[in-house]
Amino acid sequence: MTVVPVGARFESGEDGVGRILIDRPDDSANAIDPPLLAALLAAIDAARDARPRGLIFVSAKPDQFVAGADLALFGDRASAAQISEASRAMQRIVKAIQALPFTTVAAINGSALGGGFELALACDYRVAADAPSVRIGLPEVQLGLLPAGAGTQLLPRLVGLPAALDLILNGRRLSARRALRMGLVDEVVHPASLGRAANDRALTGRKRGLGGGRTPLERAATWLAPARAIALRTARERARKETRGHFPAPSAAIDAIAIGLARGIDAGLESEAVAFGELATGTVARNLIALFVLGLRQRRAAFSDLPRAAAPTEIGVVGAGLMGSGIAQAAAIAGMSVRLRDVDDAAVTRGLDSIRSLTEDAGRKGVIDRRESRRAIARVTSTTDWTGFARSGLVVEAVFEELAVKKRVLAELEAVAGDDTVIASNTSALPIASIAAGARHPERIVGMHFFSPVHRMPLVEVIWPKAAEPAAVARVVAAGQALGKTVIVVRDGPGFYTTRTLGVMLGEAARLLEEGLAIEAIDAAMTSFGWPVGPLALIDEVGIAVARHAGETVASGIGATPQRNAVRLLADAGLVGKRGGEGFYRYDGGRRVPNPRVYELLGTSGIRPASEHLAPMLTALFVNEAARCLDEGILRSAADGDLGAVLGLGFPPYLGGPFRYADDFANVTGSSLADRLRAYAELAGPRYAPADSIAAGRPFHP
Amino acid sequence: MSLMRRAVIAGGWRTPFVKAGTGLADADVLELATAATAETLARTETSAGSVDEIVYGNVSRPVAYHNLAREIVLALDLPTSIYASSVGMACASACVAITDASDHIAVGTADAVLAGGAESLSNVPITYTPRLARAVVRSSQSKSLPQRVSSFAGVKLSDLAPVAPGIRETSTGLTMGESAERMAAINGISREEQDRWALRSHTLAAAGTSDGRLTAEVVPLRRNGRVERDDTHIRRDTTLDRLSTLRPVFDRAHGTITAGNASPLTDGAATVLLLSEDRARAEGRSGLVAIRSYAYAAVDPADQLLIAPAYAIPIALKRAGLALSDVGLIEMHEAFAAQVLSTFRVLEKNGAGTVDEDRVNVMGGSIALGHPFGATGARVITTLANEMRRRKTQFGLASVCAAGGNGAAIVLELLQ
Repeated sequence: MTVVPVGARFESGEDGVGRILIDRPDDSANAIDPPLLAALLAAIDAARDARPRGLIFVSAKPDQFVAGADLALFGDRASAAQISEASRAMQRIVKAIQALPFTTVAAINGSALGGGFELALACDYRVAADAPSVRIGLPEVQLGLLPAGAGTQLLPRLVGLPAALDLILNGRRLSARRALRMGLVDEVVHPASLGRAANDRALTGRKRGLGGGRTPLERAATWLAPARAIALRTARERARKETRGHFPAPSAAIDAIAIGLARGIDAGLESEAVAFGELATGTVARNLIALFVLGLRQRRAAFSDLPRAAAPTEIGVVGAGLMGSGIAQAAAIAGMSVRLRDVDDAAVTRGLDSIRSLTEDAGRKGVIDRRESRRAIARVTSTTDWTGFARSGLVVEAVFEELAVKKRVLAELEAVAGDDTVIASNTSALPIASIAAGARHPERIVGMHFFSPVHRMPLVEVIWPKAAEPAAVARVVAAGQALGKTVIVVRDGPGFYTTRTLGVMLGEAARLLEEGLAIEAIDAAMTSFGWPVGPLALIDEVGIAVARHAGETVASGIGATPQRNAVRLLADAGLVGKRGGEGFYRYDGGRRVPNPRVYELLGTSGIRPASEHLAPMLTALFVNEAARCLDEGILRSAADGDLGAVLGLGFPPYLGGPFRYADDFANVTGSSLADRLRAYAELAGPRYAPADSIAAGRPFHP
Repeated sequence: MSLMRRAVIAGGWRTPFVKAGTGLADADVLELATAATAETLARTETSAGSVDEIVYGNVSRPVAYHNLAREIVLALDLPTSIYASSVGMACASACVAITDASDHIAVGTADAVLAGGAESLSNVPITYTPRLARAVVRSSQSKSLPQRVSSFAGVKLSDLAPVAPGIRETSTGLTMGESAERMAAINGISREEQDRWALRSHTLAAAGTSDGRLTAEVVPLRRNGRVERDDTHIRRDTTLDRLSTLRPVFDRAHGTITAGNASPLTDGAATVLLLSEDRARAEGRSGLVAIRSYAYAAVDPADQLLIAPAYAIPIALKRAGLALSDVGLIEMHEAFAAQVLSTFRVLEKNGAGTVDEDRVNVMGGSIALGHPFGATGARVITTLANEMRRRKTQFGLASVCAAGGNGAAIVLELLQ
């Protein structure tokens, strides 16, 4: 198959500085595909022949340099050898740029990620625009891959080994200013000056080599074998701990870096290319890439069956507690004017303080500009009455999770809300229909389930109750997206999607305790399977009372009637959870030990170890419940289900989400999920009986 | 009816007026201004995108804020298209802000204007002597080290002492208090009359606070884990006896003016939202109070520095087509009790009419509430408009005297 070069061309300039203009006609992000690779190579050849005084790589796209490899490259049909070959093609481009006899400059006007940043790394200088659209880094590891266009080789040689390990293993995407501070770029200028600055560099700059760090210390950690060994060992240790063996990319990246530094750049490049092919054809990368693509598509997909809507510029938040202040802070950061209410000054002041400290932290850490953080704080006004809500296009109610409280607040809110105000109820379990029962305008009441802590959790679950107008739901979706969250839209019902599936799994974990299993054994089995927190520790985290409430709401909603329940026992015994210092665990400072009182209350031994089936079984129960949600129409799509579980609940991302996992189950385990669930049902009870769609055996993702 | 468009007050709110150097000492003037302005927008249920302009007053302006009004737009992240100007007429600055806003609405260049003023007397700009300041400028312009060093030749040790902003009239060399003493003497205002007026101010302010009429115009400031919600100057426990024991401050031998019958140094801000009458009615707003007329007047500062309102009031009333007796409520800024009483005397002497004291400052005035210079005009207008709505008073009058011999008078009308 021949590839027609498209997307880059050489142009000679009047002042002797040539340009390679990158402009892929069919992709606004200039993602690197075979035609673009071929075009780049041809353009570099043309530049070499033209012998300009200097050469600039520029993008013709507004706010985009080169985003990275085209993910379509990793289609199911490509073999590991083919993908390694693509990596080598990119490496050849890097070498060709480095071998040019004149100064080369990358003019970074937008995202320069992955292959895009590798292209820039090949140049002698990197000049970046000081614009919010600029993101610089090698994020491949987050997709289960490794930088394979010479990134694992060039970055340690530019900023030194320790910084390179941090950037590559965490897949950091830096703003222009942070990139400057870390030495990734040479200069940051106003976007309007980018062309002139790049031109000046091309004319006056020299050919440069890569030293391996800016300070003697950085160079020592890069080139001095014993120091290097320490840095690499620490990195391996951390990667092992964080991935729990589920993600092969970090250690592959460390290997490629280590080989390159020990045996030379060519050996490193080959290691990089081979690992790239292996990783890209493995299930982990495939699942992570699939999730990433779902996330990108979700911006549009969240609006299916809904009209397009604009996010409100003015938003009200009722309740200044943990959730309310978190929502207010996210809205303020997103540029909205926020009106925050609680019943008294003490509550409002606490909320404002937490908004201020979160926002100032973000400013200090460079997540947002410091001046911007001050403006964000100023966007929040507060009140103990109901003034300032009529002008809000959206009011989010985030008061205590109790039906009577929510109904009362809703009534007060409806009395002051404007004719066009949409009211969103932030609840994790209460059906919106029951909250909105008796409301004057149920057509404008929507559910908006945020996850805690709001500023970190990337998901919002929007609940579309039957009575709500599509336009109202659409406005809530738009608001959630404006807050920087991935939004899924689900139908109403106890626990909706996320709390329902989680609740069923947590309930089962608590039930296992009654069989005499040890607390820490259950949690350890789940975390080593890839869940971020063990189920019992999670119950402690959210609080026993909240977990009980959510669990019972979910249970009654799906017709289950648990007679005896560990969570209820603990609640009745007055245990609060982590906040009270005692739940399934006892909390003493930073330490956490299993609570012997739990075994006393349950009358169990708590000594049985967990079997290897525990985590797969609980996870299968979760997946089964997710399938039921799809069958019942709570979920609108398997994509929503995968994104919701991974982003909202920490479902192991290497599995790609519950529906991807269900589709892959037979490939991974050798038996179908339906058969496995039937076996579990026989073993543990009918609650494991497979959902209709799983029993039918059709793939969820075509 | 006139063909001219009219401006109406849709609402106004202020921060608590707090004794300088206390609860709001660490809030700079911009923070006070943004608090009052953001809350006025919220409480009038107004979307920032529908505001055309901000006009704002401030007297002891920090060096960093060349245009405080514009800083409000930027600090609150209001739409950057809202243009903004800062205005100054000393203590009548917010009056100028409001009448400018009213003019802009009347001629049709704006439909919605935020107007007001702010003052942080806890944070007055401290400067250096002109000699040292010039040396610093010279040094910054010099091209070599020797030049830089020689820039400071002629600077004396005494120039290193910081200079606080002047409290003296530049033209007369008299302090505000000395000028007020002069007014008391010219108009024959006794110490006891002044103390009685001060007591009245505190008593009525305490009552207005207790029954919620005054607190209705105050928005609490919630900052750094604390809440400031009270006007802190009001003395509920003061008596004529106690006031009479205070020693005169400005003229120890023959003086009558004490800390008790003068307005105190205060931090605070006040903002009002003015809309065109058409827009306010289209939005279904009620309780509209229109700016019916206004006037400024000025006098020789060497004569009676703070008497100009006595000349502005008759002009404003004439423009409104009203007599003093038509006015049901009067809010008169109380720089000093002596100045208020002098104004009454001069009005009467000049044939403008006799002031019915029961209609004046019915919830106290600046002596009890405090006087953040830049904010007072907006506070007076807000208090007056709110009380006119409560009492269904058709016409109200506000006046503010100012350093330099200026004075403002504004006539409000409650619309049906």
